[in-house]
Amino acid sequence: MPNEKTYYSLEADQHLVCHKCGVHLIKGNAVFEYLDNAFPVELPICPQCGFIYVPEELAMGRVLSVEKVLEDK
Amino acid sequence: MSVRLYPAESVCPVCLKKIKTAITVGNDGFIHMEKACPKHGFFDTLIWEGDVISYLSWGDEDVEGNAPKTAIPAEKGCPHDCGLCTSHQSEGCCVLLELTKRCNLNCPVCFASAGNGTDLPLDEIVRQYDWLMAHGGPYNIQLSGGEPTMRDDLDEIIRLGRERGFTYFQLNTNGLRIAEEENYASRLKEMGVSCVFLQFDGCRDEIYTALRGKELFETKCQAIDACAKADLPVVLVPVIAPDINEDDIGEIIQFALQRHPHVRGVHFQPLSYFGRCEVPARELAEKCCESAQTQWRITIPRMLKKIEEQTNGLLKAYDFHGGGAESPYCSFHAAVRVQSDGSLKILKKRSRSCCCPQPSSEAMNFVSQQWGNEDPDFPETESDVSSLDLFLKQAINDTFTISGMLFQDAWNLDLKRLRRCYICEADSERGMVPFCAYNLTDTNGKALYRK
Repeated sequence: MPNEKTYYSLEADQHLVCHKCGVHLIKGNAVFEYLDNAFPVELPICPQCGFIYVPEELAMGRVLSVEKVLEDK
Repeated sequence: MSVRLYPAESVCPVCLKKIKTAITVGNDGFIHMEKACPKHGFFDTLIWEGDVISYLSWGDEDVEGNAPKTAIPAEKGCPHDCGLCTSHQSEGCCVLLELTKRCNLNCPVCFASAGNGTDLPLDEIVRQYDWLMAHGGPYNIQLSGGEPTMRDDLDEIIRLGRERGFTYFQLNTNGLRIAEEENYASRLKEMGVSCVFLQFDGCRDEIYTALRGKELFETKCQAIDACAKADLPVVLVPVIAPDINEDDIGEIIQFALQRHPHVRGVHFQPLSYFGRCEVPARELAEKCCESAQTQWRITIPRMLKKIEEQTNGLLKAYDFHGGGAESPYCSFHAAVRVQSDGSLKILKKRSRSCCCPQPSSEAMNFVSQQWGNEDPDFPETESDVSSLDLFLKQAINDTFTISGMLFQDAWNLDLKRLRRCYICEADSERGMVPFCAYNLTDTNGKALYRK
């Protein structure tokens, strides 16, 4: 079995739980910073350790597109 | 003596039968297509005004395309099975609906049937929409003709398309009605036209007299202003003809840049010899007649050289690259970002990181976002991501494209290129027919598919 790191878990009622702290993630303000640009975004955050959950569709969608624009790809 | 590079497939310009063909390096050092018909003789056509290294490197990233989602069996062989057939290597991206054969111009260089013709009936348009949706749709729709604005039911045509799932409607127009009829541009916007693909051959009336039969520059400016007022994106589409407007390319680009962002880009179409475009056929056909070839043929390197010379180096030939979804030898493309201080930044070529062709869907999205100014289609999210959305919208708005497509005719038709064609004509009998097959005519002007 590959040794996969898990940072969060998903409860049956779709609540995200921080794997390290064992508490529910709550919506909070995060900032993406890349190549001198900052993008304030609202995301699920662990209130104790500050772990930020970035949904896959956001990472592979908007964030990837912004990255391509900034890198002129 | 020419030097043979590799074998290719083409047709005889006289009988359109498939004949033995080779890509060669000619005595002039440029790339040619040489072919021989047992009945009609030998044909030598200039296809690349550059050396062999520049020719081969332009196609560096060329790979096999992706097959259409549905296809008819290939029986007679290209280009005689178009519809699309199992030999085709593109899913399709843009589809032209020829809504009418009527036109308010009678251009000497038109490929389409135009004049006092008939309209495509609404029920036939619906059948074409339904066929397209059942065969891989939705595609980006090009409302074409004739002159599509001769019809008074464009709103109904777009509504019927939207009902069936099509979202991008490009209006291929000469702009006369937009210029002359008050509020027509606003009505087009309300109808759901995504982008006006405006025939625009230069900033001098002499050009329009030669190519369109009358002085039109002022009319074109009025059409562009009307579209800007209506917030309707415009792409300028110049036909470039030898000895007529080859030296106007830089001025066209500057004219368009001054009207960015409502002018989204320039899309050049160097003259091809099909349809109503009268060919200096004998001159083109004569072997060893290199002066005639150079006089009448505009190839990709020649276009890029002219762009570099006439924009005073603002755009360099190496800023351009070939198409990804279609054959790279069919098109050229560059993009610039107009920065907040008005200066331009060349956007580098997006290199493909794997051996896959750019899918047609990516080309479709590019067209609708870049020319139609449409927002990117991302999934809904519960979180507030407006900063990312705003940035992306601004980035699309700030981008200006300079591109061109070299349509093929019976002289330079390369069946490998044709199989990668992603711009199709909707045909009530055959479905989707690649543009350059649909408009292919022999030396007597007889069409292979167009009726």
